[in-house]
Amino acid sequence: MALSQEDVRAIADYARIGLDEEELRAMTVYMNEAVAMLQPIIDLEVEEVEPTFHPIGSLVNVMRADEPREGLRLDDALENAHATEGRSFRVPSILGGGGLS
Amino acid sequence: MSLLDELSARQIASGVQAGEFSAEEVCRASLDAIASRDAELHACLQVLEELALAKARELDRDRAAGRALPPLAGVPLAVKDNMNLIGSRTTCGSRMLEDYESPYTATCVQRMLDAGCLPIAKTNMDEFAFGSSTETSHFGKTANPWDAERVPGGSSGGSAAAVAAGEVTLALGSDTGGSIRQPAAFCGVVGLKPTYGAVSRYGVVAFGSSLDQVGPFGRRVEDVALAMNALLGEGHDPMDATSQDCPVDFLEHLEDPVEGLRVGIIADFIDAEGLSGEVRSAVLGAAEALADQGAELVDVSLPNVADSISAYYVIGPCEAFSNLARFDGVRYGYQEPGCATLAEQSAKSRAHGFGAEAKRRQMLGAYLLSSGVYERYYHKAQKARTLITKSYERAFEEVDVLLLPSSPRTAFKFGEISDPTQMYLSDMFTISSNIAGNGSVSVPLGLGEDSGLPVAVQLQGPAFKDRRLLTFARAVERGFEAEGRVAPAFAGKGGEL
Repeated sequence: MALSQEDVRAIADYARIGLDEEELRAMTVYMNEAVAMLQPIIDLEVEEVEPTFHPIGSLVNVMRADEPREGLRLDDALENAHATEGRSFRVPSILGGGGLS
Repeated sequence: MSLLDELSARQIASGVQAGEFSAEEVCRASLDAIASRDAELHACLQVLEELALAKARELDRDRAAGRALPPLAGVPLAVKDNMNLIGSRTTCGSRMLEDYESPYTATCVQRMLDAGCLPIAKTNMDEFAFGSSTETSHFGKTANPWDAERVPGGSSGGSAAAVAAGEVTLALGSDTGGSIRQPAAFCGVVGLKPTYGAVSRYGVVAFGSSLDQVGPFGRRVEDVALAMNALLGEGHDPMDATSQDCPVDFLEHLEDPVEGLRVGIIADFIDAEGLSGEVRSAVLGAAEALADQGAELVDVSLPNVADSISAYYVIGPCEAFSNLARFDGVRYGYQEPGCATLAEQSAKSRAHGFGAEAKRRQMLGAYLLSSGVYERYYHKAQKARTLITKSYERAFEEVDVLLLPSSPRTAFKFGEISDPTQMYLSDMFTISSNIAGNGSVSVPLGLGEDSGLPVAVQLQGPAFKDRRLLTFARAVERGFEAEGRVAPAFAGKGGEL
C-alpha cells in the first residue's frame, strides 16, 4: 500500500519534524521507495522463529551494585541548554499563549 | 630526523619511552601534518592542540620523573566526532550539535588516553553516522586521500582519511552497518568492528543501540591490535550494561601461523551482483595468500544473510528514531528562536537542526514503529536477525573465519550516488555482522587493477573471537604491500619529527 502525502504529513507530525511542502513531496517519494526495499521482510516465513532483539541475547547484562555515586554535575547538565532558570530548563508555553513558561 | 607518518604506534611509544624524541615533539609533528594536509583533505572538524599538548607534556613529565610510560605513549589519535571528550565539542557532523560541548568523556576515548594516546583531533562524519560517504556532514565533505575527487566512505570517513593521509597514527570510529570497514576499504587502511559488547558505548552518541560498536583504524594490523588492548584492557565498563568483560592480549597471537585453519568462502558473495571485477579478483587474491600460508579454503553458505539489508533498514531507522527523539532543542542542540509553544519549537528545531538524511531515517523509523506496521516489519526483522545469527553460528562450526569483500567497489566520486536507497547498498557486505553482532575487519590489499584505488578484503569471525580475527588479518597483511602505507599525495607533507 503506497503512502500518500497526507500519511507522510501525519508521520512527520508524530516524529516532530516540520516539513515544508517541497520536503513533504520528496519525503513521500523516499518513504515509498524505502518501504518497497523492505519487502523481503514482509515475504519472510518466520512464524515459528523467536525474535532476537539484541545481538548478544545469549549473554546477560552486567549489572552494577545499586549504590549511590556521583553523577553528572548540575552545571554540566545545564551547560548546553539555551534557556535555564535555577536548576531547571526553560521551555516555551506547552499549551499555547506564548512566551517562556 | 624521521617522518611521523612512517612510524608505527609501537615505534612511536618506544621512541618516547627511550627518549629518542619527546611526546611533545610527536604531538607537534602530528599538528604540523594536519596543518600541511588537512586544508585539502578536511578530515578534521576540530584540532585539539591544547588538549593534545597538555597530554604530551604530562607524558614527558612522567618520563622525566622516571615513571614507566603506558603502551601507546605519545601516539597521535583522532576521534570520530560522535564521541564525547571533555574540552571538545561533539557535533556528530550536524547543525543540531554544532555548539554542543562534551559534558563528559566517552569510556573508549578515556581508555585510549589512559594508554598514552594524544587527542589530536575530532573527525568528520556523515551526520549522526547516517551515510556511507561522509557527504551528509553539515560541515562539508572529506576528500579521499587517494583521489580528492572521491569520497572517503562513511560514516567514519574523517577517521579513515586522517589515518590514510598520515595525519595521525590511530583513529576511533563507530560502525552500525559498515561505518568503520567501508571507509577503511576506500582509504586503504585497517578498520576493525569488534564484536558487539566488546567496547563500551558509554559517551558515544547513539544511532542504533543494538548495532553500534566502536573500533579502531590504523595503517597496520599491529597498530589496531594495540588499540584493542587499550579499549578492552580494563574489561567491563560499569557505565554500559552491554559491555562485556573480555580483556585479552591482542598481540599475543598476532604472528601465529594460520596453517591448518579453515577459511570460509561464500559463493553468493564472491559472485554477487554489483561486485566489481577488481574487488573480486583482489578478494580471491587474499584467499590465495591465506592458502599459501597453509590455511584451508572451504566453501560455506550463509542462508538468510541476503535478508540482512532489509532487516537492517528496519532495525536501524527504528532505533535511530528512538535515539534521536531526545533532540528537541531544550536540553541541548539547535533551538529555533521565537517559537510560541513547545511543540512548535520542537518541530522547527528538528526540521532546521537535522539534515535531509537524518530526517529520512527518523521518518522511516517513525513509520515502521507505528501501530499496525510494527508487527509486519520490526518484529519480523528481529526474527530475521535470529535466522541470520544462526546462519553465522552454523558457518563457524565449519570454519574459523569468513572471507568476503568489504565493499562492492572502490571509492566513488562525490555526488555519484544521489539516490539514498542506492547508497544503502554500499553496505551490502558489512551489515550482516552488525545484525548478528560478531566481529569483522577490513584489511587493505593494495590498489585495484582497474581503478588504481585501494581495494580491501573483509574477514568475519565468531562473536568474541576478535583476537583470532586479527591473526588472520595479519596473515593477509603479510601477503600484500599495503602495510603502513600513507596515500602518496600526502606522504611526507609536514610531520617531521
